[in-house]
Amino acid sequence: MTQQPIGATPKKEGTALKVRKKPRRTIFLQMRKNYSSYLFLMPKLLLFILFVAIPVVWAFVLSFQEYKVFGSEFVGIDNYIKVFESEAFRIALKNTLLFTVVTVPFSVISALVIASMIFVLGKLSQSFFRSAFYLPTVTSMVIIAMVWRWMYNYEFGLFNYVLGWFGIEPLNWLGQSSSALWALIIMQCLIPFGVGIIMYLASMGSISESLYEAARIDGASTFKQWLYITVPLLKPTTLYLVLLSTIGSFQVFTQIIMMTGGGPGSATETLVHLIYKTGFRDFEFGFAAAQSVVLFVIILIFSIIQFRVLRHDE
Amino acid sequence: MKKNSFNGLNKLIIYVLLTIFAVVSLLPLYWVFSTSLQLSSYQSKDMERPISYVDANPPKMYPMGIPLYFEHWSGAREAKKADNIEDEKYHREMMEHIVDNTFSSFKSLFQKHDIGKWFFNSLYISVVVTFGILLIDSMAGYVLAKKKFPGRNLIFWIIISTMMIPGQVTLVPLFMMIRDLELMDTHWALILPDLSMVFGVFLMRQFMYSIPDELLEAARMDGASEWRTFWTVVLPLAKPGLAALGIFTFMNVWNSFLWPIIVLNSAELYTLPVGLKTLQDANLASFKLLMSGATVAAIPMIIVFILFQRYFVKGLTIGGVKE
Amino acid sequence: MLSIASLGLAASVLAACSDDTKEVGTADEFKGKITVWDGPRWPDKDENKFHWLEAKIKEYEDAHEGVEIELVQVPWAEMGDKLGVAIAGKSWPDIAPVDISGSAVSIDHIEQGVVEPLDDYFDKEAKADFYENALDAYTYDGKMYGIPNSITLHSMLLNLDLFAEAGVTPPEGGEWTYEEFLDAAKKLTFDRDGDGKIDVYGFSTYIMPGYYEAWPFFYKNGGSPLNEDMTEFTFDTPEVVQAIQDLADLKLKEKVAPETHGGNDVGGTFQAWANEEQRTVAMQPWATWAIGAAQGKYPTNFAVANYPTGESEKPTTIGGVGGWVMFHQGEDANKKAAVADFMKFISTTEEQYHMAQNYGIFPARVSAAEMDPFKDNPEMTRAMEMSDQVVMLPRHPEWRKIDEAIQTQLQLVFNGEKSAEDAMADAKKAVDELLK
Repeated sequence: MTQQPIGATPKKEGTALKVRKKPRRTIFLQMRKNYSSYLFLMPKLLLFILFVAIPVVWAFVLSFQEYKVFGSEFVGIDNYIKVFESEAFRIALKNTLLFTVVTVPFSVISALVIASMIFVLGKLSQSFFRSAFYLPTVTSMVIIAMVWRWMYNYEFGLFNYVLGWFGIEPLNWLGQSSSALWALIIMQCLIPFGVGIIMYLASMGSISESLYEAARIDGASTFKQWLYITVPLLKPTTLYLVLLSTIGSFQVFTQIIMMTGGGPGSATETLVHLIYKTGFRDFEFGFAAAQSVVLFVIILIFSIIQFRVLRHDE
Repeated sequence: MKKNSFNGLNKLIIYVLLTIFAVVSLLPLYWVFSTSLQLSSYQSKDMERPISYVDANPPKMYPMGIPLYFEHWSGAREAKKADNIEDEKYHREMMEHIVDNTFSSFKSLFQKHDIGKWFFNSLYISVVVTFGILLIDSMAGYVLAKKKFPGRNLIFWIIISTMMIPGQVTLVPLFMMIRDLELMDTHWALILPDLSMVFGVFLMRQFMYSIPDELLEAARMDGASEWRTFWTVVLPLAKPGLAALGIFTFMNVWNSFLWPIIVLNSAELYTLPVGLKTLQDANLASFKLLMSGATVAAIPMIIVFILFQRYFVKGLTIGGVKE
Repeated sequence: MLSIASLGLAASVLAACSDDTKEVGTADEFKGKITVWDGPRWPDKDENKFHWLEAKIKEYEDAHEGVEIELVQVPWAEMGDKLGVAIAGKSWPDIAPVDISGSAVSIDHIEQGVVEPLDDYFDKEAKADFYENALDAYTYDGKMYGIPNSITLHSMLLNLDLFAEAGVTPPEGGEWTYEEFLDAAKKLTFDRDGDGKIDVYGFSTYIMPGYYEAWPFFYKNGGSPLNEDMTEFTFDTPEVVQAIQDLADLKLKEKVAPETHGGNDVGGTFQAWANEEQRTVAMQPWATWAIGAAQGKYPTNFAVANYPTGESEKPTTIGGVGGWVMFHQGEDANKKAAVADFMKFISTTEEQYHMAQNYGIFPARVSAAEMDPFKDNPEMTRAMEMSDQVVMLPRHPEWRKIDEAIQTQLQLVFNGEKSAEDAMADAKKAVDELLK
C-alpha cells in the first residue's frame, strides 16, 4: 500500500554498493573525478560537523564531567547516578509523560476527525478550513503562551468568565498544583494540530476511489467506510504523526518558561525546562548533559515502541 | 468517503462543527489582536473613576473604543445641533482620547521600547538564514540525489540520523562551541547553528530526485560546468521545493526562542520572541502592551502564510515522506 | 561535595598568583577596550534609559585617549541569567552591576576566581566612606569584591486614597504591629458597589524564586532561613512557620487578600496596586524602585510604612546592596587598573547623589547620603529610615538552589495545598541536602 504524497520518487539504490566492490585505487579515482560533488557538499558538511556532529559527541563527553569555569574534571557515571536519584528529574519525567500521553492521542485523533470532515467539502471550503486550522500553528509559541496565560488569569481571564456562565466558581488555573499541568494540557489540545490535518488531507486524497465503490456495493454506511477503509489506510500517516507529536511533546518548554516557570511547587516542571534550568541557571553543564542524554534515550525507546505497535497490528 | 455521499443536512452539520472548531482554534489569536487595541483607560463625565477594559471582568470581546467612539461621535453631533459648545468639545475630546488610547501601546512600543530593532533583527536573520539554507541545502541535496561518488550514502545517513536527536541534547555543547568561537552575543551565534539544520538536506534530496537525468545530461553535453548546470538548470526546476523549504526555514527562525535567549545578551541584538519575553518579565508592562508586541511579531508570519499557503501544504507533504 | 578540594586549590593558586604579581598597574598606560554591562536606569527626554552611563563613558573616553568602552544594554530582569550564562561561557564583561551574594555571581564564583578583588585600589580611608553593611555585602574572606553603589530595601506601600475611602487611619509614623496591620487589612477589604463582589482587598504580594517582598513578614517573630554557620535550615522553627501561615491565611482564612496572593505574577500584582484603572489592593510590599514608579509613571497617593512587627517587636526588612563588580582580568595589570579607575569614576559621591535623586535608590556612600538627595521626597526619606532594619540574606554558594527549594514550597502554602509546617519540613529535607 503506497500513498506517498507529492514529490516522492522511488529510490535508486545499489549505486553505492557497486562502488564499494571496486578496489581501493578506483575509489580514489572516483573521488578525484567527482571532486565537484564534494565541493557542493562542503558548506553543509562543514556546518554540520561544527554545529551538529561535534556537539552531539561533546554532549556525551560532557555528561561524564563536572563543569568548572576554569577546567572541568571527569567524574565517571556520577552524573547519571544523580539523574536517576534526582527527585526533580523523576517529577519532571512524570509530568512530561502525563502531558504526552494525553495530548498526543488527542491531537492526532482530532486532526484525523477534522481532516475527514474537511475532506468531504468542496475545494474552496477545503482550502479555507485548512488555512483556518493551520494559521495558529504559524504563530510563535511565545505569543500563544502569553495570550493563554492571560486567558487563564484568575480575575480577568476568559476561562473563568466562561465557567461563570455555568455557575462554576472561578478557578486559579495556573496557581494550583492540581490544575496547572492540566491547564497546559488543555491548551495543547486546543491548539489545532495543523501539520496533522494537512498531512491527513493529502493522504486521503491518494486513497483509491474503487475501494469505496466496492464497500458501497456491499451496503456499508459512510461511517463504516471511514472506519474500515479510510482509517486503516491512513495508518502510515498516523504513525508518522504520532512519532512527530511525541517527539514534540517530550520537548515542551516554551509554555513552561512563559506561563508557570515550572510551578507552583514543581507541578509543571518538564524535562526540557529542567535541563534548561540545570544548564543555564545552575550551570551544572555535566548534569544537564546527562539529563539530555537520558531524555534522548527515552524518546528513542518511545519511538521504537510506537513504531512496533502501530506497525504490527495490521 | 465519496464526496457526494453527503447530503445537504449532513454537510450543514459538518460546516457548523468545523466552524465551531475553527473559531475555538482562532480565538487566542483574535484575543491577541483585540486586546492590543482594547481601551485601557476611559472615564466619561458620569464615571467616578477611570476604568480599563483590558483588565475588565467580565472580559470585553472586542475593542471597546469602537462603540464608545461612535457614542461620542453621535453625542457630539447632537450637541452641535443643540448648540451646546461645551458638550460638543467634551465629546470631541473623548473621541480623540479614545483613538489615542486605542493605539497607545503600539506607539509606546516603538518609542520607548526597542521593538523596531527587534523586528529588524528577526527579519534580517530570518532572511539571511533562509537564503543561506536554500543555497547550501539545495547544493547538498542535488549531489546527494543526482551524483554518484564514494561516501554518498554514508554522508546522507549520518546527516539524516541526527534528525532523530532532540535539539536539547546539543544545547550545552553548542553553547560551548559558540563560546569557543567567540561568537557569544552576536547574531552569528544564531545564524550559523540555524544554517546547519539538516531537515532541508533531506527535503531537497527528495525533491531533486524528480528532476529528469536527461536534462542534466543535456546541459553537460552543451559543455556547461557543474556550477552552471546547477544554477541554470537544477535550481529553476527545484523552485517549488525551494519555496516550501524557504517558508519553513523562515518560520522556524522567526519563531525560534530557546536558543536566542541563551546566546544573546545585549537588548539591541534581541529578536522579537526574546524581546517579548523581556517585556513580559519587566514588572511595569501592561497586558495591552504585551499583546501589541505579540501582534507585531505575529503579523509578518500570518502574511507570509497567506501569501505562500500552497507551498506550506507542499512542504509538509514532501517532508512527511516515510521510509 | 566532590569538588571542594579542587575549589580550594584553585582559589589558593589564584591567590598565590595575585600575590606574586603584586604589581598594581597604571590606568593611564592602558589602551584598548573595556566592556561594561548595565541595565536601563532613568530616561532622558528621548526615553533613552542608558543616557547616564553613555555620558559618563564619553567623558571618560575623551579624557583617556586610546580607551574604548563598550556598553552592553541588558534588561534588569535578564541580568542575572545572562551574566550567569556569560560566566559559564567565560565571556564575561569587565564590569557589571551585580551583587556577589545573589543569583548571578555567587561565593562559588569568587572562590573560583571569577571576580577580581579591588583592595589594591581602595585603601582603608577610601573604604570608610561606604556604609558598613554595604561594604560587608561586597566583602568575602576579608577582601573587597566590588564597589557598593546603592542600597535597596523593601517597604510597605499604602494607597492613601483607599485608606481614606475605607475610613482607615494609616499607621502613625509608619509603625505598626501585625494585629494593627491585620485590622487595617480587614477594613480595607470591601465591596464598593454593593454587587456582592469584593472590589478592593487589603493586601497582596507574590512568591517567586529570587523575590523577597514577602519575606520580612516571615521574620516578624524572629528567625532566619539558615543558622549562623549555614549548616542547617532553620525556617522550620515554630515562630517562622506561624509567620508564614499568618501571611498565607490573609487569603486562605481572613479573606483580605485576593486569590492571586502568593502567585507568580509580578506585573499583575504591581498593576493591581499602582494602575489607576485598577487599584484593587490597598497595601503591597515592594522594593524601592516602586516608590519611584508610584511617583512618576503611575502617580499614586501613597505612604511608606514599616513591615508590621510580630513577637520579636522589632521591625525588619530585607535589603540588598547594588554595586559594580570587576570580572576576572588577564595578565594586563594596566588594564585592570584602568577598569578599576572607570568603576571608581562612575561611583563617586556626586554620581551616587545624582543617581539617588533620579533613580530612586539609596546611596552606599555616607558622603552622598549626607548631601541629602531626598530632601524634597518624603516617601524616599521615610524608606531610607528603614535602612537600619535591614537584614541580609544568607550568603551561601548554593543560595540560588536553597532559595528555589524554599520558595517553591512557600507557593504551595499560599495556594492552600500544604500547611506552612509541612511545607517547611519538606523544604528542610531539600535544603539540608544542599547544605551537606
